[in-house]
Amino acid sequence: MKRRTLLTGATAALATTPLARPHAQKAVTIRWWYHFDDPKATPDALIAAFEKTNPGIHVEAENIPWGGGGDYDNRLYTSLIAGNGPDVAMVKFVNQARLLEMEALLPLDTWIDAWPGKSDISNDVWRLHMGPDGKRYYLPLQYVVLYLYVRQDWLAQKNLKLPTTFPDFLAAAEATTGDNRWGFGLRGGSGGHDFWATFVLGNGAKIAKGGLTSPQALAANQWFIDLYRAHHVCPPSAPTDAFLQTINNMKAGRTAMTIHHIGSANELTAALGDAITAVPVPRGTNGPGWATYGDGSSAVFAASKNREAAWKWAAYLSTSATNVAFNKLSGQVTVTTSGAANWDVQPKRFIEATTNSLPMAQVLPNLPQTADFTRTVWPQTTQRALLGQISPDDMMRTFDKLFFA
Amino acid sequence: MLTPALAATTFLVLIPVVETLWMSLHNVILFRPRSAPFVGLANYAHALADPVFWSSLGNSVIWVGGAVSLQFGLGLGTALLLNRSFAWRGIARALVVVPWALPSVIIGLIWTWMLDFNLGVLNEIGVRLGLLSAPIAWLAQPDTAMAAVILAVVWQGFPFFAVTLLAGMQAIPFDLYEAAALDGAGPFLRFRYVTLPGLAEVIATTLLLRMIWVANSLDLIFVMTGGGPGTATQTLPLHAFLTAWSGGNYGEGSALAVIFTLILLSVVVIHVRRTHRQ
Amino acid sequence: MIERKRFARGRRLVLTELPIVAILGFALLPWMWMMLSSFRPDAELTQSPITLWPRTLTLAHHIELLQRTSFIWNLRDSLVVATGTVSLGLMLSLPAAYAFSRYRFRGRQPLRVQFLVINMFPVVMLILPLFVLMRQLGLLDTYYALIAGHATFTLPFASWMLTSYVDGIPVSLDEQAAVDGATPLQVLLRVILPVVMPGVVAVGAYMFIASWNEYLFALMLAGQHVRTVTVALQLFIGENQIQWGLLMAGGTLVALPAVILFLFVQKQLVGGLTKGAVVG
Repeated sequence: MKRRTLLTGATAALATTPLARPHAQKAVTIRWWYHFDDPKATPDALIAAFEKTNPGIHVEAENIPWGGGGDYDNRLYTSLIAGNGPDVAMVKFVNQARLLEMEALLPLDTWIDAWPGKSDISNDVWRLHMGPDGKRYYLPLQYVVLYLYVRQDWLAQKNLKLPTTFPDFLAAAEATTGDNRWGFGLRGGSGGHDFWATFVLGNGAKIAKGGLTSPQALAANQWFIDLYRAHHVCPPSAPTDAFLQTINNMKAGRTAMTIHHIGSANELTAALGDAITAVPVPRGTNGPGWATYGDGSSAVFAASKNREAAWKWAAYLSTSATNVAFNKLSGQVTVTTSGAANWDVQPKRFIEATTNSLPMAQVLPNLPQTADFTRTVWPQTTQRALLGQISPDDMMRTFDKLFFA
Repeated sequence: MLTPALAATTFLVLIPVVETLWMSLHNVILFRPRSAPFVGLANYAHALADPVFWSSLGNSVIWVGGAVSLQFGLGLGTALLLNRSFAWRGIARALVVVPWALPSVIIGLIWTWMLDFNLGVLNEIGVRLGLLSAPIAWLAQPDTAMAAVILAVVWQGFPFFAVTLLAGMQAIPFDLYEAAALDGAGPFLRFRYVTLPGLAEVIATTLLLRMIWVANSLDLIFVMTGGGPGTATQTLPLHAFLTAWSGGNYGEGSALAVIFTLILLSVVVIHVRRTHRQ
Repeated sequence: MIERKRFARGRRLVLTELPIVAILGFALLPWMWMMLSSFRPDAELTQSPITLWPRTLTLAHHIELLQRTSFIWNLRDSLVVATGTVSLGLMLSLPAAYAFSRYRFRGRQPLRVQFLVINMFPVVMLILPLFVLMRQLGLLDTYYALIAGHATFTLPFASWMLTSYVDGIPVSLDEQAAVDGATPLQVLLRVILPVVMPGVVAVGAYMFIASWNEYLFALMLAGQHVRTVTVALQLFIGENQIQWGLLMAGGTLVALPAVILFLFVQKQLVGGLTKGAVVG
């Protein structure tokens, strides 16, 4: 109640004084760049509370358009190169290799080790956030894990249980296809590499030298492409379907299963109620399984002139109660163990699916080509394979060439 | 007279252009700002050896040819109609501007949604009216995807021709029409012998400018298909854009930009030589 | 007599007004579809099968857009930048067009072509150097950066178009004014400008719209204090969610300023000053 009035009050104040930001009386100003999905969500309350307990610091926040990631990243890199970058910003693993090459990041180890909030974040999460040279540059901020959304009512009608293995999955998809409905909403457009990772990287392929073209890898990929081309369990629009289409198809009752994360749970529940549920993604027999870990961290930049203040703000965002508040704004899940215990933003079954997926949680390796792979090379190459313009094996060879030529 | 314009362009634009030329001759990766070794024409060689370059060039030709001709045709027809007198022509002229006044991202999203396989209104109407036997996944197949993006850009751009050609028609003296009518010329002959010659200069210019604009525009394609499916709608500037923006390879992206500019430049020079003989 | 009038009216209806309605239909239907969608509640936006007319109407998206986002201020920023672009652009391109049209000098043709080279370059290449330049000038995140950027990028097209319009005006007008003792600048302003007004309006419209719809510069060169409507709309497209209702509401509104402005100036577009006035 109190937070809401503070939020709307702060928004009203912001709306009436767009150019006047409280300045000048504060000792240091740190600039923080973020991106929220909901443009109505504003971090003003968090900033106000922080400034109250840290009177010497003023936080200047800027909401940068995401633009599929490209806009945000390019704005960040360009500003850092031109010497005009922020002090703290939200970053992802795909940025790390590039930021390290630019020597833009500050190692955070000494601060982290002295930070009381360190123990509130699980070791699994710290492990995933370790930098390539053993130093920690990223402070965990939020996360999601990709799982499988399932129309449990349709499966119940066919007397099928929720799928856990690949054969289960295929059977469920085939059983629910027909009559203008499809079993699996495949995502061939941007962001679809997460789907592919579950079926291919989790079942025998690896992004390592030779790991993409081994017989196991090629077989896994063939199975994946066959979902569309041979078994026809995906809508005809699948090659170019991206986030909006796969979720809309689910909402409109056209697909039985698709892969996404808790960020869309409330939307789907609003449209489908109890008919929709989620389970961890299916596991193959040839690999450890792969549930894409959607990361989100804070980074402090080496060019910052107020490093201590910048760290304080970053740490603040990742501390228990404030991290929970932050994630309610950003629509993802808190990284803190204490916060997760009482998390109630989405229905319980989705949170369970998320936490049950953690043992399978993986991220793509932090190579410089990874960003290009996820944004351009994967969609374009996969679309050509789905359309039959190239063979699935050639698709894997293209990826191999991108990373290891 | 000329100096202010010239000064502005030189200062604000020529410098970046020169920098692009410089980048094209070096190995410039955005996230490796410290090392940018000189590589001579290696970027160009690599760009030209890539089969995607040639398919992108082909797509560019289809894109420009289809989009400009359709925009021009529809725009000219609209301008002729808007030049006539009828009661509500003021409002008609203002409303025709709507497609042109929308940002590309909105246009891309709305057309993508209207063409959606499951929820798109165009598929729905098509099926209901019996024009389509089943919904079509417009953006998921190479041929229909190109048609779809051309449709969207024609929708966006025809008001440009409507407005500029309408303005050009104002300079044609009314007496010429009267004289032609007195000589017994019907509307079609009047169009051919009075309107067209009077508009010739404006038509030549707008076609040239529009061709350059359409050739270079990638916003719509980027939002609607990202160049896909595969590389079916990837034009040359989009290829350059993705090389730089997604791949971080500004060296090769610059080389592609320079190649594309040279191709456009040669077309422009030929056009200018043929139409402006002064 | 009355029959002839009615016949003329019927002819006009069929030959002029009906085709116009068809063309306007093509031009407006997607926008109207967007408008209809902006009045649909969220649940209805993704239902299948789709209904052409909303089952329930709601103002929620519009209220949210205007009250809980900064959209109004973004419209204002876009308006300032676009108006600045038109003013600066016309001030630069009109004299240039006059010079290109009336003066014959060596290098005239190559110079005109060189003007166009700017627009042949994919814009993304020019962003990085331009960003550094603006930073050095201390102009980042100000109206000036965007106005300067937009004006120079629309300058080549604008001067080319204006040149072709000025070419359509016979030199005899200039000569007459010169005989009366006018300087070139006075000729331009007092004689040429009124007559070429339709062209000026068309070029002004082009510059306004080009600036209004521009995204890349607005994204990179501005952001916090100056945020145009194209950038603001992009903020509705998030990583995990698209605020479709807000986007539809915003998308509908964003076309209006240009249309309203055009409604006021379209009379100038069909000047009428040249009808018959040019001969003799």
